[in-house]
Amino acid sequence: MSLRRFVVRRALSVVPVLFGVSVITFGLFHLTPGDPVSQLVALNPDVSAAEEARLRERWGLSGPVWRQYLAWLSNVLVGDFGRELRTGRAVSGILWRRLPETIVLGVFGWAFAIAIAIPAGIYAAVNKGRLGDVAARVLALSGVSIPNFWLGLLLILVLSLYLGLFPVLPPSRLPLYHPETLRYLLLPGVTIGTAAAASVTRVMRTSMAEELNEEYVTAARARGLPERTVVFKHVLRNSLVSVVTLAATLTAGIVAGSVVVESVFNWPGLGSEFVRAIDRREVNVVMAITLVTAVAVVLANLLADVLYAVLDPRIRYD
Amino acid sequence: MANRHEAADESRRLDRRNLLATIGAAGTAGFAGCGGQGATEPSGSADSDDGGPFPLSVRLETGGTDERIRMVEVIAESLQQTGYFETEVETYEWNAYLDRVINPAYQDDGYLPAIGLSGTFNPHSFCNPIHNSANVGACCNLTGIADPELDELLDSARYGIEVAEDSRLRAETYDEIWRTLAEERYTSFVHFGVETAVSNADVHGFAMWPFPEGVFSYGLFSPQDEQVAWIDGERPAGDTDLSDLTTGGTLTAAVSTNPDSFDPPHSSDTTSTIVQNLLFEALVANDAEGNVYPWLAERYELRDVRDVDRTVYEEYMRSAGTTAEGAVDVDEQVIVRHPEDDPAAGDEVRVLLPEDAREAAADGTYGMWFRYELREGVEFHDGNELTAEDVVASYEYYENSATAPQTFDSVLAAVAVDEYVVDVYAQVPDAEAERELPGVSVLSADQIAEVEKGSIDPREGVTPVGTGPYEFGEFVDEEYLEVSKFDGYWVETRGVDAAFEWFDGPDSFPDGPVIDAIEVEVVPDDATRTGALRSGEIDLTYDVSSATLEDFDDDDGYLVHAVEAGGYDYLQYPLNVEPWDDPRLREAVNHLIPRRRIVDNVLNGWAEPAWTPIPRIARGAGTTDYGALEDAVRPLNEYDVERAEALLDEMAAEYDESS
Repeated sequence: MSLRRFVVRRALSVVPVLFGVSVITFGLFHLTPGDPVSQLVALNPDVSAAEEARLRERWGLSGPVWRQYLAWLSNVLVGDFGRELRTGRAVSGILWRRLPETIVLGVFGWAFAIAIAIPAGIYAAVNKGRLGDVAARVLALSGVSIPNFWLGLLLILVLSLYLGLFPVLPPSRLPLYHPETLRYLLLPGVTIGTAAAASVTRVMRTSMAEELNEEYVTAARARGLPERTVVFKHVLRNSLVSVVTLAATLTAGIVAGSVVVESVFNWPGLGSEFVRAIDRREVNVVMAITLVTAVAVVLANLLADVLYAVLDPRIRYD
Repeated sequence: MANRHEAADESRRLDRRNLLATIGAAGTAGFAGCGGQGATEPSGSADSDDGGPFPLSVRLETGGTDERIRMVEVIAESLQQTGYFETEVETYEWNAYLDRVINPAYQDDGYLPAIGLSGTFNPHSFCNPIHNSANVGACCNLTGIADPELDELLDSARYGIEVAEDSRLRAETYDEIWRTLAEERYTSFVHFGVETAVSNADVHGFAMWPFPEGVFSYGLFSPQDEQVAWIDGERPAGDTDLSDLTTGGTLTAAVSTNPDSFDPPHSSDTTSTIVQNLLFEALVANDAEGNVYPWLAERYELRDVRDVDRTVYEEYMRSAGTTAEGAVDVDEQVIVRHPEDDPAAGDEVRVLLPEDAREAAADGTYGMWFRYELREGVEFHDGNELTAEDVVASYEYYENSATAPQTFDSVLAAVAVDEYVVDVYAQVPDAEAERELPGVSVLSADQIAEVEKGSIDPREGVTPVGTGPYEFGEFVDEEYLEVSKFDGYWVETRGVDAAFEWFDGPDSFPDGPVIDAIEVEVVPDDATRTGALRSGEIDLTYDVSSATLEDFDDDDGYLVHAVEAGGYDYLQYPLNVEPWDDPRLREAVNHLIPRRRIVDNVLNGWAEPAWTPIPRIARGAGTTDYGALEDAVRPLNEYDVERAEALLDEMAAEYDESS
């Protein structure tokens, strides 16, 4: 199979996945009790049943679920995500405003993870079995195990409240590209990247250690190449194959983590918007964010597959 | 953690909305689809073999905040310990729970629901929603309480020419209601909540209640010299008084939710209310006891009351179709629907539309007639002068809005008489009308003419224009909001003494707000909000959990502001299901609710035990003598295991005999 055919085939498989995601989300959302209208009027003694029916009709919440879904789907296909029920504002506007915030946070967290994990993994593999390796492994294990909401709160508590080094609230008056934004990004970025850093470290260490046992390494050493050249020129390149693909799939973890981390740090991205939308039963917002998230995760996986195929041609013939 | 926080938020939001619902409304008589239902067939468990109902299985259900769940668990444990009950507690996510309990079929399940509502100065809000049979399947008669005598009593306390003209008679009727409720025990009121805010010591003189006057209150409340907020980081608040007043500065507050809208009739969540109250004003204002003072109106009077009910509008009504969903099929606001017509049952209903309502009022068909004389020279933020036209346009702007149900269950029509005089008519004689008829934010007619309904909001590209002490500055959705002091504020330009006849505060009382700007940050997470307060990034925050309040209260660097604002938690008995129809069982359970312990341990003292069904804010209109009422009712609500066990023994013995 040619690379091009492989890519096309993988890309096409994205369509049913997205369709499935939207059906499941829509279905789950409508299975849960309490639509936005009943939430709005439930505790208001002044709203009559007739008024409630009127509201429901106006917001397209009457009729069978499948018909509501089809109506929603046909709008989305032409790029219309509908409106927020409570306020009547366009959902696409919300998406466009929140998406850059989440991308910035995600990219920062991802970069942090890679920047920490690759050197740590190399160091651990080269010093396999020694103290540095054990330390790196313990740290990696902790990183994977610590829940990110806890880590976030702890960082706020220690670095912001006790030491006063970082602000608690995000920069509501700074544009995203402002250099000072970096200071605000640090805590949420570290929180979101820690788990990713931990898993990349472990994979990096394993694959590096494996490569170091390969015969070509022995051959290189036998030819009298300095260890530095062996590690960084030959081994690193080969062991990066699995890391690159892992890093791409980590996007899913980072996207999922953003829901919690953005809530803890009040970061105005898609994740915190998602939590609010679920709470308020804003079906159009929830559907739009789910879809965007699904696209991001699916694309990241696609990228991982393609990268893998590029780096390791054997995969294409499977 | 996020879940708990969201749930807490949600109930607060709803409570607040409900509070507003009652502030802005005058009647709840127009219910549809939930007309008085009689007691249904008992479907509870049959008596067990040994002839007694004990140990009785009791399922308590609740949703919402952690605190409410713990409250229910404490009650369940208290029941369990007597040995007469096998209790279980079911908890639900708040929205799911609302759906569950508002369903009229819920009354047949035999469960004990516990929820929280919020009332107002209007004593009606503490009895009618949960006891009137018209509110079965609506908010919030959850267990199908249908007591015709009580229904009549509830209606007569609020509606009709007698109580509308005689506040003493009204208070006496409420006294009778409280005593009836205490004896019948359809519901156990557990506690009254307090609204709280925490500030650092830079914030001086912050008053919690009501929201419009949170920052500047014109001495509506005593002691008057403690009602002006200012910012001073040099000397900490607590030991300062009005003579230390520092002008200028910016107050930074954090709220837990984004404002839904700046458009007053199109939102009623807490944050929107806080924000709108800085920008907009109404014809009148209330003090902490609910007394009404002229505000944008220089004076007002009740000119006439007529002994009518809603059928009097029959000749002005027109016929309208209904939809399959049971809604009235007209585009205009339905001011009155004929009480005998039900859009869910028939294809046609008779309705009174705005234009016809004005005609009826002009012909002298109305329940009450109030006349408001506006002040001259009141300036909007855009420089235009307030006139009667603005007031009338504002009432019309409320038509078909999110808050229309609670406006047009009392308002019949608003009519401009001349440039500075507005007549407002009520549909029926209503004892709450003085407070509730003018519950409309006065907007600019020019702005109303330009915008689409619901779009007075910066997110729609519209800058809100009001007459309030602060004018709109900047807003970024879900992030922050800024307002700044309005230079042309009418009270300041004429001086507080000249502006208000009733003002008798000290000479040093400032004429306008002293804080230059207010910034409101939107921070949903509880821990982040309190963290920001501790780190000094904000000065003030609302919505702090009772456990955290304790920490701040113990800390000299912070001030906790608390006020009993009308929230109440209650438990209802499924009296349509055996054996809950036996009043002795309800009496016993009521005596087993440890109200004091719940307040002290579950709410850390940030609440009041509900010894009577009527909290402080509703006592003005709701009782002739609160002391006497409490003396009579409190013993019935005390924690009393002996009395409870005696009642339960008596019941058990009776069952033994009958078998």
